[in-house]
Amino acid sequence: MKLLIVEDETELLVAMRNYLIGENYICELAENFRKADEKLSIYEYDIILLDISLPDGSGLELLKTIKKFQVKAGVIIISAKNSLDDKITGLDLGADDYMTKPFQLSELNSRIKAVIRRRQFDGSNILKFNEFSINTDSKSVTVNDKKIILTKKEYDMLIYFIINKNRVLTKESIAEHLWDDNIDMVDNFDFIYTHLNNIRRKIKTAGGTDYIMTIYGMGYKFTDQ
Amino acid sequence: MKFLRKINRQYLVTLVIILLLISFGGYFLLQYIIYNEIREDIYEKEYAIIQEIKSQHKLINIYPIIETRKISQNNREAKAKKEIYLSDEAEGEAEPYMEYTNSVKINDQWYLIKIRHSLWDTNELIMAIALPLLLLLLLALSFSFLLTKKFNKTVWKNFEYNLNRIEKYSFDRFRELSLKETQIEEFDRLNKTILGMTLKLGEDYFSLKEFTENASHEIQTPLTIVLLNLEELLQQDLNEAGLRQVVSAMNAIKRLSALNRSLILLTKIENSQFEADHELIINDLIKKKLQEFAPLIETKKLKTELDIQNDFKVKINKQLADALISNLLSNAIKHNFHEGIIQISIKCNKIKICNTGPQNSLTNKTIFKRFTKDRSESYGLGLAIVKKICEKHKLEINYSETGFHCFRIIYNQKD
Repeated sequence: MKLLIVEDETELLVAMRNYLIGENYICELAENFRKADEKLSIYEYDIILLDISLPDGSGLELLKTIKKFQVKAGVIIISAKNSLDDKITGLDLGADDYMTKPFQLSELNSRIKAVIRRRQFDGSNILKFNEFSINTDSKSVTVNDKKIILTKKEYDMLIYFIINKNRVLTKESIAEHLWDDNIDMVDNFDFIYTHLNNIRRKIKTAGGTDYIMTIYGMGYKFTDQ
Repeated sequence: MKFLRKINRQYLVTLVIILLLISFGGYFLLQYIIYNEIREDIYEKEYAIIQEIKSQHKLINIYPIIETRKISQNNREAKAKKEIYLSDEAEGEAEPYMEYTNSVKINDQWYLIKIRHSLWDTNELIMAIALPLLLLLLLALSFSFLLTKKFNKTVWKNFEYNLNRIEKYSFDRFRELSLKETQIEEFDRLNKTILGMTLKLGEDYFSLKEFTENASHEIQTPLTIVLLNLEELLQQDLNEAGLRQVVSAMNAIKRLSALNRSLILLTKIENSQFEADHELIINDLIKKKLQEFAPLIETKKLKTELDIQNDFKVKINKQLADALISNLLSNAIKHNFHEGIIQISIKCNKIKICNTGPQNSLTNKTIFKRFTKDRSESYGLGLAIVKKICEKHKLEINYSETGFHCFRIIYNQKD
């Protein structure tokens, strides 16, 4: 997967790139409007991460270039503004998703994967992890070829874990992923524990391994290592 | 009442009064003048009759206008002037006459002279003069009224136009207010003042708008850098204490970011950067939000009781309506007991959201203030935002605590 990251803050750019390279993406960078515009009209990308407030232009303008030259690419807008208008405009102009700063890398990865699945890049609708196989079109989960039934939140949670395997995920970041906009209303994260126990039980019943490690009661890690 | 209507009404009332005065006054004046003429005419006739009697020594009688007869002595009481009615034999109708009676001594003989003058024609004459005059006057005044009305309209037309422009003006649309020149000094002066004021207000509005946008970007971006680095730190093999420190730092960053977002939202609401552009039915929004929060409600095992009797419709900005209901509901969930109750009722332009919960020392006066809170985890901004949104949309909100913590939103349709 080839990514273009358009972001004017160098440190943020570097942090994102380092992480995404670790996740096996090929990353190219553009730190201003001019460079981004140039790259977008020459090379081909699968995913474009687009900051909309650039020093020499608006990222929303770049969406027009993307529409012209990058028909296949998925676009995720990254904005400091939590503005409904920008979000609607961005999505109307063809963006796939809209994230507000500050965001977390695990969340970014999960959104990128979601866009890849939606855009149906080569067989991307099947997510595999050891004995797990998830068809993201039909939202069906099998463990050792045995189907398990999960609720929507449980399903979302499992996907989040598998995509961010081997990473420590805090309870807060899981809650944020499940409730995105309304997270500031959550004052206790007990319900995560409830969902998690349900998933564990269902996996065990189907004869699967519980890969979810609890980290000092503060977070979780989905790992087979 | 509109200015023009008021002026026109006053003008019309004054016209009617003037017309009434003129017609009454004119009628009596005319009558006075004509009666005077008649009197003079009668005196002349009397003089002619006396001369006639003096020279011809015979009585003159022309019924009904002249009557003379000899009397034995002076009859002082006979001298009189009065209006009488005499029956006309030909037409059998009573006709009004002015009757003049006098006794005169001619050649040592007393005569009684009666001279009558028909008033029938006179009255007709007065009418014949007064009516056309009155009509002409009425015509002239109505004409002048209509003309003034039309002039007023032309004069005020540009003013009306400008007033409309000012009413519809919003700073949000990136254009200057343009007003028509009226060619009337006072109006143009007013325009100039208003243009000057809007220019200044516009500058303030845009500088605050710019500030909120910059503040958002300039703060959220470094926060993201901190958060991303902390997240990567989290992936190192940390011991429990180290992990706790990193998680606590991450949560603090998120709080800071949310706080910044809330403060900017408040500033934006105060700066009227949201247009009330949707006629929303709040009932639907509440139901939607309850569904969204269902997992949180279930986790706390809260019981929700809904009592909806009619639609609560209000013209409001969508994003703000969302924030309003979200904040109130999350408030009711957050500050509730385990297995507590949330009651929501909508009736007669009133929304009531009540919840059980621990006692607090907050009152209707203090609860909506910024940074007042009873627990340290909250920011104390949610209800400040709720209050501001209500104020901007002419909604009244109050809080009371009688066993339940209740928030009441009242929509005053009069405004």
